[in-house]
Amino acid sequence: MNAVQRDNLGPAVFSLLLLCGGCLVSWLLVEPTLSGAVAPSYDIKHMVLYHSTLPRLATALIAGAALALSGALFQQVLRNPLADPTTLGVSAGANLALVVVSLFLPGLLGVGRDMVALLGSAVAAAIVIGLGARRGFSPFALVLSGLVLSLWCGGLAAILTYLSQRYLASLFIWGAGSLAQQSWVIPLSLLWKLGAVAFISTLVIRPLSLLDLGESSSVALGVRLARLRIVVVACAVALAAFVTSAVGVIGFIGLVAPTLARLCGARRPVQLIIWSPVIGAGLLFLADSVLQYVAGTLGDLLPTGAVTAIFGSPLLLALLPQLKIRHRIDQAAARQRSHPWSAKTLVIIAVVSFLILVAIALFVGRSPGGTWAVVSGEFFGDILEIRAPKVFAAFASGAMLGVAGLILQKLTGNEMASPEVLGISAGATFGVAIALFAIAPGFSGQFAFAVAGAVAVLAVILLSSRRSTFAPERVLLAGIALSAMVDAVVGVLSSTGDPRAVLLMRWMSGSTYLVNSTTAQVEVVIGAVLIAIALAARRWLDILPLGPAPSTAVGIPLARSRLMLFGLAGLMTAAATLTVGPLSFVGLMAPHFAREAGLTRARQQMIGAALIGGGLMVIADFVGRTIAAPYQIPAGLVSALLGAPCLMYLLSKRR
Amino acid sequence: MQISRRVFLHSAAAAAVLSPTPLFAEIGGQRIVSLDYGLASTLLSLGLPPVGISDLADWGRWVVEPPMPGSVVDIGSAYEVDFEVLLQLKPDIILTTPYLDELLPRLEPIAKVLRLEIFTPDGGPILPSSIAATRKLAAELGREREAELFLRRSDAFFDGCRARLAGRSIPPLALVSFMDARHARIYSAPGLFHNALERIGLSNAWTRQSNYWGFETIGIEDLSTITDPDARLIALEPVPSDVLPKLVESRLWQALPFSRPGHLSVIPPALMFGMVNEAVRFAGLVTDLLEQDA
Repeated sequence: MNAVQRDNLGPAVFSLLLLCGGCLVSWLLVEPTLSGAVAPSYDIKHMVLYHSTLPRLATALIAGAALALSGALFQQVLRNPLADPTTLGVSAGANLALVVVSLFLPGLLGVGRDMVALLGSAVAAAIVIGLGARRGFSPFALVLSGLVLSLWCGGLAAILTYLSQRYLASLFIWGAGSLAQQSWVIPLSLLWKLGAVAFISTLVIRPLSLLDLGESSSVALGVRLARLRIVVVACAVALAAFVTSAVGVIGFIGLVAPTLARLCGARRPVQLIIWSPVIGAGLLFLADSVLQYVAGTLGDLLPTGAVTAIFGSPLLLALLPQLKIRHRIDQAAARQRSHPWSAKTLVIIAVVSFLILVAIALFVGRSPGGTWAVVSGEFFGDILEIRAPKVFAAFASGAMLGVAGLILQKLTGNEMASPEVLGISAGATFGVAIALFAIAPGFSGQFAFAVAGAVAVLAVILLSSRRSTFAPERVLLAGIALSAMVDAVVGVLSSTGDPRAVLLMRWMSGSTYLVNSTTAQVEVVIGAVLIAIALAARRWLDILPLGPAPSTAVGIPLARSRLMLFGLAGLMTAAATLTVGPLSFVGLMAPHFAREAGLTRARQQMIGAALIGGGLMVIADFVGRTIAAPYQIPAGLVSALLGAPCLMYLLSKRR
Repeated sequence: MQISRRVFLHSAAAAAVLSPTPLFAEIGGQRIVSLDYGLASTLLSLGLPPVGISDLADWGRWVVEPPMPGSVVDIGSAYEVDFEVLLQLKPDIILTTPYLDELLPRLEPIAKVLRLEIFTPDGGPILPSSIAATRKLAAELGREREAELFLRRSDAFFDGCRARLAGRSIPPLALVSFMDARHARIYSAPGLFHNALERIGLSNAWTRQSNYWGFETIGIEDLSTITDPDARLIALEPVPSDVLPKLVESRLWQALPFSRPGHLSVIPPALMFGMVNEAVRFAGLVTDLLEQDA
């Protein structure tokens, strides 16, 4: 009993510190009002205190507790120290569902905002956990798919908003998680929901803590595993959905609080589940009161959720070394697939369909009246001059993303690996954001900053993972943690409602719009050179997936070959991102399609992934340019919209 | 003589209505394309309807008046002009703003580009900038006479509004666009709406200077910093459907002076990123509202 008491002391002291800190700052916030004279008739200051400031602080406490409990439950049931509503994509799923409903079916929101959020987060959780189950709930695979889904949902939500309402940025604020309140309605309703879920959680604490003994022992002790998991995951998902529906996405609290609890000495699952919510409440309370205090002096509206994400995502980076890493063999590559066509037939089919595709993309379009037309006559040359660079740049970018994705998937043995996940795209986005907001927004300036951002992230990733000899999964997770951080920063910038945020959103949505003949030529040349280098490294790619031991045995320098391949993938991603934006997901899809086509060796797969990636991007660009003409839908968005369902289908089919 | 807002703004489009050329309208030998709403509506007032404008599809949602002639062609979003369509319109002149500078290298080979600065970090109040930009535009297009007439008419309109409201005791007005039930965008100096209010002799209840577009994003509770207990709140359409019902539930809102009957009004949409015509529309809408109430 003594040890247990000692284990409780740390978290208790820490929670007390957090709460005291929060109280101190909140006191600074409310003190001027309380000490001021009470006006006899119209006393708005006290009204603000009672109906805005205090509910906001209460909301911070409750939302913090709910998210931390959700994170602790996820971490315990998935036995994964990185799991939380943000890293599993649950909050982002709820957010996307709410955005879609408020844009297209606003009537539904009045009826059941919580139901919509629940549905969104349940779908997200089902996808992520479903994918994770197939990898034996590996911590990396789970968090990787979760963060990919998070980014995808966040990107899609932002783009949908931007496309449908140009001047209203409300959903940006909301997505970034603002805690501002004008009544007690939200904190009170959140309180009873948290209470209900917390009650259910107390019922499963005992069986849940037995999970630590391992599956077979806990089954022997009478735990019904499947039912327990469903109940706990449902609780965690519901908590995240309620918070998201009430105040938007508050990033990373569910990750940070249990981690802090563990660092303070909470070791047993019961302690973790009890102390995490307390610490989470204190954490968000302190964070929000500091933010209110600072914002009060700045006179700006800072969304709390995005700010917690800015501080929370580096913690994810810091936590990485604690995870045990075990290299897995690429199961997908080992799978053979019989195919009715020979390689030669496949090549002919690929080339012919590619030529037809390019011809359509070049010659078919919409005329000023809106009718479909094949180019001819007076404007033939001029229009081709406009279209050709887009088509070829789209092809080159898609091909590069395809090959980069293939390299990453081969290196990590993870089918959710992709260039978007590396964070290089995020770095480029961040560069553009700085160029837009801090310096004059000229095109060449944006371009230079995007390159600088991409290179900086690449350098950070490579340096930070040098110690682990570039263990692939660590590199990927470091990359995606950076993406999440950049996403949060962009969220803060966008929520200011500044018209420049629209420029940033457009760039993020991945449009080939800014491509001209020079950039297209540069893109094609870079693509050709980098893909040729990748082809030269095909032997590494055939052998490295077999694992570190066989690779060393045949004389491949592990660290150097990994560094070079990551560097190559990074360069390709940076070059492609500059034209098609950070969210295309072509790098995720093309390698899958190449494998589905029956290609097995690295060289064949690489050529296949390049052609398929390029082809996908050309199709996406064509659809985006013509479907809503004269309004353009960004190619990156189109490819993500078209590709994600295909990908989900492929992943679910394969066992 | 007093002119109504409708008469004022609809006379702007008269030139185009008189010559109903279906597609590729051409007046005065100049085929003009505008990549900015404010500049496009100013063109109408100068008697030079454009052949194409950007974001035509949303014109009725944000600008509303003056109505665009049916002959005008939509060339897509201002940020992503459809160059294929733009090229086929064979424009002589393209009007643009500093926000679209990245398009300049691609616009310049197509036609003469006129770049007008209205919203700039050190540009000062928007209405005077808009008037200056109108004169500059007119000088470039050889329509100085029409511009002076137009500006004189708009001055007369503002004076008319001022006269209509003179003698009434009108409290300070706070101008907002609701973004959701918890947040709003509030308009203040140096923005167009703020200038228009001052021009017709009204005062803005939100006294803090905002960004150079003239707005600031706030939480609803920040409205309590408006100290004048008589202040009125004017919200511009579109108001999201769940905002007003949710506000009514809020105790804080109930305590704000704006929740009293007659202190919150909703007026039809008006464009804050506009020029003189948009200021006229806004002033007209506000004057109509205040006149009705009193």
